[in-house]
Amino acid sequence: MEFFTFHLMPWDRLPDDFEEKYESAWTWLPNSLYEPKHGGELYNRYLDELVYADELGFDGVCVNEHHQNAYGTMPSPNLMASILARQTKNVKIAVVGNALPLYSPPTRVAEEFAMIDCISGGRLIAGLVVGGGPEYYSFTVNPTFARSMYHEAFDLVIRAWTEDGPFEHYGKHWKLKYVNPWPRPIQQPHPPIWIPGAGSKETIDFVAQRRYAYMGIPYFHIEFFKRNFDMFRDACEKYGYTADPNQLGWLLPTYVAETDEQAWEEYEQHLFFFAQKLLKGLVVFPPGYTSARSIAGINKALAKFLTSVKTRKEIEDGAYAIVGSPATVRDKISHYSKYLGVGNLLHLFQLGTLPADLTRNSMRLFAEEVMPALRKENQTAAA
Amino acid sequence: MKNSTVAFETIFVDVAGKKTQLTRGGDGPPLLYLHSAGGETDWMPFHDLLAQHYTVYAPAHPGFALSEGLDEIDDLGDMVWHYVDLMETLGLTNVPVVGFSLGAWLGLELAIVRPELVQKLVIVAAAGLRVEGSPMAELFIDDFDKLRKLIFHDVDHPSVKLAMPDSLDDPRILLWLRAREATARVAWNPYLHNPKLPNHLRRIGCPVQVIWGREDLLIPVAHGEYYAQHLPHAQLQVIEDCGHMVPFEKCNEFVDATLSFLEQTAPVASTSCGA
Repeated sequence: MEFFTFHLMPWDRLPDDFEEKYESAWTWLPNSLYEPKHGGELYNRYLDELVYADELGFDGVCVNEHHQNAYGTMPSPNLMASILARQTKNVKIAVVGNALPLYSPPTRVAEEFAMIDCISGGRLIAGLVVGGGPEYYSFTVNPTFARSMYHEAFDLVIRAWTEDGPFEHYGKHWKLKYVNPWPRPIQQPHPPIWIPGAGSKETIDFVAQRRYAYMGIPYFHIEFFKRNFDMFRDACEKYGYTADPNQLGWLLPTYVAETDEQAWEEYEQHLFFFAQKLLKGLVVFPPGYTSARSIAGINKALAKFLTSVKTRKEIEDGAYAIVGSPATVRDKISHYSKYLGVGNLLHLFQLGTLPADLTRNSMRLFAEEVMPALRKENQTAAA
Repeated sequence: MKNSTVAFETIFVDVAGKKTQLTRGGDGPPLLYLHSAGGETDWMPFHDLLAQHYTVYAPAHPGFALSEGLDEIDDLGDMVWHYVDLMETLGLTNVPVVGFSLGAWLGLELAIVRPELVQKLVIVAAAGLRVEGSPMAELFIDDFDKLRKLIFHDVDHPSVKLAMPDSLDDPRILLWLRAREATARVAWNPYLHNPKLPNHLRRIGCPVQVIWGREDLLIPVAHGEYYAQHLPHAQLQVIEDCGHMVPFEKCNEFVDATLSFLEQTAPVASTSCGA
């Protein structure tokens, strides 16, 4: 079992009347609300938190890509990953991921990921994603081509890493006379690949078929993850093998304080800022982005999504976030990770307005009082 | 349709390998109706009224209703060539073409590449242009309430229920999502227009009736004015108290304007109208 610190690098200042005044924290939220000087402070603070995760002994850190929104102000996770490649010593650096259809040509992803892998001494985990629904509005990329662009770009990136260049690529979406990226990655044949998904059957099947790792996109009710991970395991069986827990990851908002009561007192308002403001507008399905049937299915699951949750009890019952004393958090993670059968836990410690000192304290308590026990439990189980 | 006054049937036609749904009704001379992004491919009241005078051909574009072949469509140009094939398959040539919104844009493009196929053109709330200062609104939104306000002037009009689903539980939802996908395929970027279309409008020599709802919030009436000014033989009729959904919201006005245009204008108004 491996423990990652996941960072969105969210924006932490939105007007009090945000919910009434703005339809979304995405795509159409006016960027006049962005304050560059404060943005600079945030980026530096957030990088410090990821460097701290390295010092605390986490197995890895995660950054991810989003555009034109307040939820995650990291349009280029590769910039952040390259800083982390220098500033950290041991952690794996998971970029979850680069949204392939937004790169033209997508060989740029092969190049930049190879740079990060080289600088970090082979610590990169390469996330390759279709991109979120809002990004197809933000970039005006035709979502009905999302899957075919993704598949073409994906194969091209793998080829660029594994075949000697120069070679030609004549696909539907890109025509490249010379593919010959310098540099090449340290990890051979290429860095491990993670693919996040929100429950689209298309994505689950693709990841299972190619034996990569599937990361459950968060904020759903625990039962939705269970269903998707079971679907993934079934898909792996269909392709003739049994899924390894390391092929699955669960992203979970996590908060630890000295006691349960203190944890909830400190955390609750920040979790609801995240759920009610930053998540607003996250879930849109541009036409053709996934099949009509998948949309209908995901829409049913959205009835049990963090945005519609109102009470502490609902959060606990659905495991939308893991909150409490070290003992509570330990027990819950032990229980749910076994229930879901996941080998990678991606902890979202900072999620918007949560202050720096509370974030660090929660991370420290987790690293010192939760992680060791879970590691030990895991070793005993494996022995 | 329950109160249909003419006989109609829905069949499937093989159009250059694409299985295409086609509804056909009436027994007069042929008329081709090209539907909008909303995918009004069922027999609607306005189809019925037109079919009292014409044999109305109402095909579903690739990816709409039960028509297949969207995989072979990359842009509106591919859709236009599909209609060249369809008209050949059906033996239609030099016929009146009535198009609504996306379908009107298709009709214009068809009249540019194959003028001999289009005798006269009725374009209703036509997409196809980007008019500086009068941007089209965002059609690709998920919220049905907002969408209804965007395309209807009177959101309580009885035809609203006929034209669109009102929730994700509506049994028409899968076809509705397919229609959205097929529209996005050809109209996401450039958004609902062809930057080259203005330079080609001069090629459309046949008479064109431009019909627009005064309160069209999706495609402002300035687009209708542009068409009327830049098409060689066009006239504009603006319908008051009407949004984008003209054939639904003002069914009778739409049908009257269409029929009187088709009856009054000479069938061959200029030499460029073809045979």
